[in-house]
Amino acid sequence: MMATGMLGEDGIHIDMNHLKKGEVNLGTSIMAINFKDGVILGADSRTTTGAYIANRVTDKLTQVHDTIWCCRSGSAADTQAVADIVQYHLGMYGITNNEAPTTQTAAAIFQELCYSNKDQLSAGIIIAGWDHRHGGQVYSIPLGGSLHKQSYAIGGSGSTYIYGYCDANWQEDMTEAEGVKFVKGALQEAIMWDGSSGGVIRMVVLTAKGAQRHLYLPDNGYQGPGKQ
Amino acid sequence: MGGFDFSNHNRNAALHAQGVPLPKATSTGTTIVGCLFDGGVVIAADTRATSGPIVADKNCEKLHYIAPQIWCAGAGTAADTEFTTAIISSNLELHALSTGRKPRVVTCMTLLKQHLFRHQGHIGAYLVVAGVDPTGAHLFTVHAHGSTDKLPYVTMGSGSLAAMSVFETQWKGKLTKDEAVKLCADAIQAGIFNDLGSGSNVDVAVITAEKTTLMRNYITPNVRERKARNYRFPKGTTAVLNEKIIKKEEISKYVTVHELEDDSVTATAETMDTS
Amino acid sequence: MAALFSGAPPQGGPGYSFKQTPTMAPSGERQHGFYPYTDNGGSTLGISGADFTIMAGDTRSTSGYNINTRYAPKLFKIGGEGPDNKGARIVLSVVGFAADGDALKERLDTIVKMYKYQHGKPMSVSACAQRLSHVLYNKRFFPYYVHAILGGIDEDGKGALYSYDPVGSYEREQCRAAGAAASLIMPFLDNQVNFKNQYEPGSGTGHDLQAKVAQPLPRDTVESIVRDAFTSAVERHIEVGDGLQMMIITPNGVEETFTPLKRD
Repeated sequence: MMATGMLGEDGIHIDMNHLKKGEVNLGTSIMAINFKDGVILGADSRTTTGAYIANRVTDKLTQVHDTIWCCRSGSAADTQAVADIVQYHLGMYGITNNEAPTTQTAAAIFQELCYSNKDQLSAGIIIAGWDHRHGGQVYSIPLGGSLHKQSYAIGGSGSTYIYGYCDANWQEDMTEAEGVKFVKGALQEAIMWDGSSGGVIRMVVLTAKGAQRHLYLPDNGYQGPGKQ
Repeated sequence: MGGFDFSNHNRNAALHAQGVPLPKATSTGTTIVGCLFDGGVVIAADTRATSGPIVADKNCEKLHYIAPQIWCAGAGTAADTEFTTAIISSNLELHALSTGRKPRVVTCMTLLKQHLFRHQGHIGAYLVVAGVDPTGAHLFTVHAHGSTDKLPYVTMGSGSLAAMSVFETQWKGKLTKDEAVKLCADAIQAGIFNDLGSGSNVDVAVITAEKTTLMRNYITPNVRERKARNYRFPKGTTAVLNEKIIKKEEISKYVTVHELEDDSVTATAETMDTS
Repeated sequence: MAALFSGAPPQGGPGYSFKQTPTMAPSGERQHGFYPYTDNGGSTLGISGADFTIMAGDTRSTSGYNINTRYAPKLFKIGGEGPDNKGARIVLSVVGFAADGDALKERLDTIVKMYKYQHGKPMSVSACAQRLSHVLYNKRFFPYYVHAILGGIDEDGKGALYSYDPVGSYEREQCRAAGAAASLIMPFLDNQVNFKNQYEPGSGTGHDLQAKVAQPLPRDTVESIVRDAFTSAVERHIEVGDGLQMMIITPNGVEETFTPLKRD
């Protein structure tokens, strides 16, 4: 069966053939942004096996430390396993050093796992966190295991539809409300146009005050070009 | 040490290259479901096991014991679901003994996903894990590659689409125990009648904080029909080319001999249903 | 992609789709495939008696693990008058690829009706049987993917039964099972209709024991053998079920019956 959301030879898409037969797939729209007081992570909630939606309320925003979270895309099994291992390492780090790890440290551990096992993994992960030394930071680790520090990152099969939107609407140092509006607007478009993304929009806002969850319906207040 | 024995791998690869097909594993092309309710969790399964298009077992058990308050429904390769649940059950028992605490459902789920991820999908076990522990009632699915989901109602196996259509139309929050049992049984029946991989009876397990109730063959909507003709052959129908008679006295040197009262009773270890 | 949920059966399971997933070769090029055949499962059987022939088939149509419909007849009256085949004395059963079966039925029905129009008398079963063989062989290199059985009453008033392979090889027989559960039903028929592996008790010792001789069975016996064959096949084959359609051909006409079977 042709994997839904596979577009072709554009070089940006995740190679869906890389996934093993029957594997649960996060054909996804994920993103994370920096804003004035920290970071915001966002994701859709669809998990698919072929054309079947195995979970329509998935939580792709995974906590690996108090204020370090990640967005997972690719194979559900691979990304869950990697996130579990990183959570373990960061937990140990926090206890042994009596100090919370930085987002950079978390991203480095993620990269170590993704790069050294690149042949066996299909995992595209965005790491975002807030720490006392650097404040909010966003890192992206695409398929090969490279690590990129970015002001904002988008990923998953749905991200191809929102490069233009993000480029046109991005501003540095947004307020929380502006940031939430930006992420929501982008994910609404991604869900609208990408068949393998859908369900609800989940968000996590990470600031000095900790983590705060948001939940939105993708067609609530949608005013974009896909409006009926 | 435990683990798998790969010593036949090269031989089998050579045979496969010569065109010898792989042996057919018994698969539980299955419908399994689970549903949380107020105060516990229900899981249910059909009872058909298939080997290709042939029914291998009409009344197999797909509800596996893990711990007294944790049970597991299995789909996929029959042997994989049985051995995986058995080994995790064993490990969880040892863990409970060494910690002196009741085992938790998340612990069970984590052991399962780590075991299955380590084997990269080669262990074809698709599981619904359910149970009640000191932290409450929990319900998970675990896929063969090691991914897990946590949901209020779940389905798996070849009949999962038929079963999910029942959940997606009838499920509501705050179910009673009886409502949850009915919903799960209906979902399994949707699988039994609409998916060829599923069939025969409905097994249900209800887990609450107080106790676990396993209702084997809770619904039997596919009872075998009575035959129109009698297929008992008259004595002497089968050709006998030679015979050797072993006397009771001789054989009782090796086995225990019981005297049957009635000649018409067939002397088998288990009496077969010949209706 | 998904072995578990796509509905595609596991290896060695029932046949399924026209289209093959494009597969990526290690060198990079994509390989496409188109398979014009599907296996729709189900089973048929026919038994001929002294002055009747019974044809039977289940009414389930499948693809993969799905049921297309619980009522798709595999038995068709051939010849007679009009679209209802009034007064027909020949029955064709087809199992395998249902679309080919329908096409084959239409072809044969037209031929038999044209025969009566041109010759002013109904076609005999033996002539119809040979014609069917030719129809099948005419598509030798793109066959009708079916196992056909033709039943009727021959020119001596005896029950006649012919069975075919997909490319037209045929044979007149006493009984024949075809389709998905043929390997389950045929040995039962060999034993119960032709009395294979049955001997006359006390008729001799060792190799001198006399084999039980097959003789034409009475109609009610054959009917119950057919019913038992199908209720048993339903138990052990996943593609057989839902309903049993029977057609009993006698010199007086064709009687049709339907009995429900298990639906799981």
